[in-house]
Amino acid sequence: MNRPYMKNDLIFTLFILTVCTALSFVLFHLVPENNTNVVLVYILSLIIISRWTQGYKYGVFAALFCVIVVNYCFTYPYFKLNFTLSGYPVTFLEMITIALITSTTTSRLVEQSSIIAERERQLAEAEKEKMRANLLRAISHDIRTPLTSIMGAATSLMNQDSTCTDKERAELAAHIYDGSEWLLHMVENLLSVTRIKNNSQSLKMNPEIVEEIVSESVERIQKRIPDASIHIEIPGEVLMIPMDAILIEQVLINLLENALTHSHSTQPIDLIVDHNENFVVFHVIDYGIGINESEITQLLNGTFDNSTLTVDSQKGMGIGLSICKTIIDAHGGAITAVNHDTGAEFIMHLPKGEIT
Amino acid sequence: MNDTFHILIIEDEKNIASFISRILKSNGYKTTTVYSGTEGLSAAASRCPDIILLDLGLPDMDGVSIIEKVRTWSSCPIIVISARTHESDKVSALDLGADDYVTKPFGASELLARIRTSLRHSNRLRTETGLFLRPYHALGLTIDFTGRRVTLDDTEIHFTPIEYKIVAYLAQNSGKVLTYAAIMQNVWGPYITDDTKILRVNMANIRRKIEKNPASPQYIFTEVSVGYRMLETESMSC
Repeated sequence: MNRPYMKNDLIFTLFILTVCTALSFVLFHLVPENNTNVVLVYILSLIIISRWTQGYKYGVFAALFCVIVVNYCFTYPYFKLNFTLSGYPVTFLEMITIALITSTTTSRLVEQSSIIAERERQLAEAEKEKMRANLLRAISHDIRTPLTSIMGAATSLMNQDSTCTDKERAELAAHIYDGSEWLLHMVENLLSVTRIKNNSQSLKMNPEIVEEIVSESVERIQKRIPDASIHIEIPGEVLMIPMDAILIEQVLINLLENALTHSHSTQPIDLIVDHNENFVVFHVIDYGIGINESEITQLLNGTFDNSTLTVDSQKGMGIGLSICKTIIDAHGGAITAVNHDTGAEFIMHLPKGEIT
Repeated sequence: MNDTFHILIIEDEKNIASFISRILKSNGYKTTTVYSGTEGLSAAASRCPDIILLDLGLPDMDGVSIIEKVRTWSSCPIIVISARTHESDKVSALDLGADDYVTKPFGASELLARIRTSLRHSNRLRTETGLFLRPYHALGLTIDFTGRRVTLDDTEIHFTPIEYKIVAYLAQNSGKVLTYAAIMQNVWGPYITDDTKILRVNMANIRRKIEKNPASPQYIFTEVSVGYRMLETESMSC
């Protein structure tokens, strides 16, 4: 037990005893004919002290104090100690017993609750550990694929195979480029996660104009996929909402890229922004094969459980989307996916917040 | 070109430095590569490069403080190379006098374009003969700075005085990224607050006047969390 704790307990004990003695004097003078009240007040103070102090010694000390004070002040002859009163040892024993029993119960309670708290902490830790392990497994799987193709292509180039034509060489270099580009995309996603850290307080929320974010995301996706055709529709009025611009951009890029690469369709995708009273709503609509109904919730629920995804061996779609969900959740928004008649649609709500 | 431009590369990562230097040499520039900040400072002083490419993450000193030091005696263009995670570093580098930045990883064409733009701007500064008043022209947009007239595909566009000031400032520095703070100080004066909201709203209105679709702009581009960049003017001959 540390020292300040002990000091606090001592002060607490003395304070309660003082209060209760003062109370007893008042009661004793108001209703002199019945002094059972006085004894009850002392017993109550005893229980309070035993309950809220550590260990037994304060309780025992208080019991001793009570017995003496009751004897001294509130029993005849007043202001004299007289231990020869009949039944006095019984009172004394009773008070000590109350103090001991209460103290024991209390200490056990405290002990048990600390054990429970410890166990809960361990469980939470294990859960987090499991999430982290899952994430790491998914990432290393996803990183290994492009790395294999990069290393393979680089080895072929290094071997200076004389049979290798210029065209083949260019093709190998292109493979290296594609692989590294994909890795870069992955790393950017992971960086977003570290930006969120644990809670929404660590987000860098600034008011941003919606169309600026939209245009920058589209620009960046078109740098990566030059023949991407995206049809954008935004409302006429200027919409300004609080967000972490880099993260929301990442979400839009992920959604657009998914729509472009996983829809298996060459039709242009739609990016439509509208808004209602409280939210700005982004729709990313593709006209492709749609999403497997059973996977919709899994894709967004952020468990990173790669083993249950039908392994689309190249792209770790699962990670991108659960990162999107984490980001949107941290913004206090929502992201949902639905199938429409001719493809899939991802809908993202972002709260407008109060911008004065 | 009778004399080739000399470019100083300050970058501690040897692979990246050699890749940049290879690209630049094959495009007719002369390069010097140094791997630390102190070497960089002395090379900048002794070799008088035409452009400095500066990596912000150097082992021995903060890249930002190199900009500060170089700016005390030279107006040589500085292009900052930085990783994408450090928006605030970019902004402070630009506000301290860096001319532009490229984000790692970058392609050869992007880097070369930035270098050309910076060289053009430094030339313009050197031959100050009224070039500032030469009209801006790109795609269908023309800005006549003397007459304060802006036309888009031959129809005149009416701006509020503030909007015109913003557009004119961006156009005079076309091709360069300008930080929010730089634009705000130029338009509203030095006592303006840090709150960029007023600039953003004005920009949204400007876009509604000159861009066909404000969500995919042709003239004024957003550099998220940093500032704005206007399409390079076509009438600049170099």
